[in-house]
Amino acid sequence: MVARIAGVFDEKLTEAIANSKILVVGAGGIGCEILKNLVLTGFPQIEIIDLDTIDVSNLNRQFLFHKEHVGKSKAQVAKDSALSFNPNVNIVAHHDSVISNDYGVSYFKQFNIVMNALDNRVARNHVNRMCLAANVPLIETGTAGYAGQVELIKKGLTQCYECQPKAPQKTFPGCTIRNTPSEPIHCIVWAKHLFNQLFGEEDPDQDVSPDTEDPEAAGTAGKTALSSQQTESGNIERKSTRTWAAETNYNPEKLFTKLFGDDIKYLLSMENLWKKRRPPTPLSWDNLPGKGDAPKQHSGLPDQRVWSVNECAEVFAASCQALQTELKGRPEGDHLVWDKDDKSAMDFVTACANIRAYIFSIPLKSRFEVKSMAGNIIPAIATANAIVAGLAVLRAQGILKGEIESCTSVYLRPKVNHRGQLFVPERTLTAPNPKCYVCAPKPEVALVCNLKHLTLKDLTAAFKDGLNMQAPDATVEGKGLVVLSSEPGETDHNNQKTLEEIGLNDGCALLVDDFLQNYEVRVRLQQEDEENSWRLVTDTDAPMPGPKEEEPANGSNGAEEPKPGPSRTHHDSDSDMEIIDEDDNGEPMEKPPKRRRKEVSDEIVEIC
Amino acid sequence: MVENNEIELSEAEAEQYDRQIRLWGLDSQKRLRASKVLIIGLSGLGAETAKNIILSGVKSVCLQDNEVLKEIDLYSQFLAPPDKIGENRAEASLVRAKALNPMVDITTETKAVDSLPDSFFTTFDIVCATGLKQEQLERINNICRDKNKKFLCGDVWGMFGYMFADLVDHQYSEEIVQHRAVKRGPDDTEKSGAATVSITVKRRAIYVPLQNALSADWSKPELRSRLRRGDPSYFVMKILLRFRDEYNRNPDPAKRKADTEILLRMRDELVKELSLPVGFISDALLTDVFGIVSGAAAVVGGVIGQEVVKAMSQREPPHNNMFFFNPVKCVGFVELYGQ
Repeated sequence: MVARIAGVFDEKLTEAIANSKILVVGAGGIGCEILKNLVLTGFPQIEIIDLDTIDVSNLNRQFLFHKEHVGKSKAQVAKDSALSFNPNVNIVAHHDSVISNDYGVSYFKQFNIVMNALDNRVARNHVNRMCLAANVPLIETGTAGYAGQVELIKKGLTQCYECQPKAPQKTFPGCTIRNTPSEPIHCIVWAKHLFNQLFGEEDPDQDVSPDTEDPEAAGTAGKTALSSQQTESGNIERKSTRTWAAETNYNPEKLFTKLFGDDIKYLLSMENLWKKRRPPTPLSWDNLPGKGDAPKQHSGLPDQRVWSVNECAEVFAASCQALQTELKGRPEGDHLVWDKDDKSAMDFVTACANIRAYIFSIPLKSRFEVKSMAGNIIPAIATANAIVAGLAVLRAQGILKGEIESCTSVYLRPKVNHRGQLFVPERTLTAPNPKCYVCAPKPEVALVCNLKHLTLKDLTAAFKDGLNMQAPDATVEGKGLVVLSSEPGETDHNNQKTLEEIGLNDGCALLVDDFLQNYEVRVRLQQEDEENSWRLVTDTDAPMPGPKEEEPANGSNGAEEPKPGPSRTHHDSDSDMEIIDEDDNGEPMEKPPKRRRKEVSDEIVEIC
Repeated sequence: MVENNEIELSEAEAEQYDRQIRLWGLDSQKRLRASKVLIIGLSGLGAETAKNIILSGVKSVCLQDNEVLKEIDLYSQFLAPPDKIGENRAEASLVRAKALNPMVDITTETKAVDSLPDSFFTTFDIVCATGLKQEQLERINNICRDKNKKFLCGDVWGMFGYMFADLVDHQYSEEIVQHRAVKRGPDDTEKSGAATVSITVKRRAIYVPLQNALSADWSKPELRSRLRRGDPSYFVMKILLRFRDEYNRNPDPAKRKADTEILLRMRDELVKELSLPVGFISDALLTDVFGIVSGAAAVVGGVIGQEVVKAMSQREPPHNNMFFFNPVKCVGFVELYGQ
């Protein structure tokens, strides 16, 4: 039986635990700990979802996993290990993404409490919306190094995960990355873009060649440089980097000469850029610094040694070849995905970032440091995870006991505060933000853009990136006409049309919803001639995320565990708006199954 | 004092400990790898503490316990499988403890602490004790002190818990983050900003033995003033340690009602003895002290594990000298007693 020994808890809690059903989202550092606590305490019914597999670097804290489990499903192995602590509980494991049609509002409704142990904002936003829609209490957790937090989210009672906009991920202007890097991170971002240009998914926003439209450089590009470039490598400027690289068979020397010689010479010809900056130094393959030097004495991990430029060039050559071979092994049209844990991919980025850093007189970094920055690694330790998970399960017990009002946020501090506190509970629950674009009764947001330029494709991106929707549908308010449909292909033919061309004008409102998230928001269009792209504005005046620009770093699985911190502050980022469909009783309404609107597929144009 | 051994980490170690090396640095990891730890008492708290220490990558851990595994242990003791009830708790925990980190050498000791010679305790760099009586704790603490070895102890009763640390004369380094205005470059196009610079400073902390901390004189004005803003956790710990000393056991879930009455009576006696304000130690704090609740064991075991890491790696300021977890408020705090 469960809640196993009478007398450990009072009768009320014993019974509440015996009748509970808990969902744990994430089987990483905190998830393993939460699962252990739940199982030992005797929570009888638990489901756990995680899409990830086990990596060696997890083993210092994800204690349900051992070396022999590397490569296996986290959810499944966590379940098996936890059952050995108490075979009398029922655990269902899902090796899956929580962002899936399979886990809809009715799925969430079967749980008394949902516990988040996630490592990324997208999934957190999603579970937040699902729990609001299902009206299930959510315990949100996170750690970063020695610090951590536990927070209750309950519809109508507390603020939701998206009530306070979070700081946007740091982005860098394209011209800093392409023309005038001044910090190691600029070179690392450039190197990751280069990886994608050569081997990964080509993205026009990740161009790595000199940006001739840099406003600061205006009209200074010297003809000499241009013509010499043309004589040396033909019309490379008009070809994609990948096509050109493939034509040279990824010849390391030729690639090197273009990227670190010719392109730099070209940058030098943009004289305005170097009036107040130290100009870059082009490199030539045959004469690299550090050539012939004996390796420096080094104590520490091999990865912590900073390579000479010559070594970087050697690693560059070797990793280019390895990655090319890997790419060739893939089916036609397929591409590689950058991963900090892939040796060649990590070598390539370290080498390229450092060569570029040398050129621009920026300090070189070790592979160890570059990995932290490029992979956006947040250090993680067993103890902080154990503490946060312990607090989370104690909070879950409090909720089951009927004391939800006392389940305030608790912060684990890296050092004690002035009152000697190491775990700092908030005094009261934080009320919802009435202007929240997610949990407000009638969420609303303004989309500022130039209707003459913004295309429907851009609009989709705005809803996905700005409002964190997965599959947005949009209709014009009052007309019911479909502007965007999440049905594949349904509105694709309009993708390149501007909002003006399809008849949308300043001040008109769209009802945008995501069926999966059970979320709807009213979006007012606001014309602004100067706006090059789009931006979202809420009544809170807090900045909302804009279009994706240069991302500093995002490893394959993003940040390990999220950044906690005493209360989310206003300048912190990632926002979205969200409306939960509600009837007058405040109960969420189930939406009709998704097959609606099929009949209106072709009426999209000329409205408003 | 643990010597920083100069042998480099193997590739396997670097890979497994990657995420924590990024937090506390390579030197800390090397110091941890040279540390020998004794864990006394394999209750749920002992298991949590052992897990955290073993995962951190110390040289060796000895699990000492002369008691047998009981059903109530299974509430929080995840190292011992349920089918080993009746077997020695340390031995029952061995297989899973080893599986946590095969790079750590793990042994067991099944003799009772009272029959172990002083020399046993001082073969370790640090001792973490749980489940002992005050007299036993003080004996081991004093043995360790004499040989300049670190000592920690703690307990969890129900959802409540505490930790005490005596790191004797402890030297450590601390990273201090300083904000400095910097110029970004020779050009004015990019604004000058504040950069954070971290510097490492050497520090020293002097600790007092357990008997000093447990016999804090509450008639002194500096402690009286603590009552005004304070939290009654220190007294809850005193009551529970007294209960254990007097009844030779912990409060028993099967006798929840009767034991609660005893605890409340002991509370009233203590209030009188130390002239504490009536109502300062609420009933609520003494009603959820049965068994060891897993969440609380995780919390206190997490704190103790982190203190062992700090003590052994000689990095970051360790807590001086008592930590309490008050589950009613969900607050965890550090106070200095006995100095």
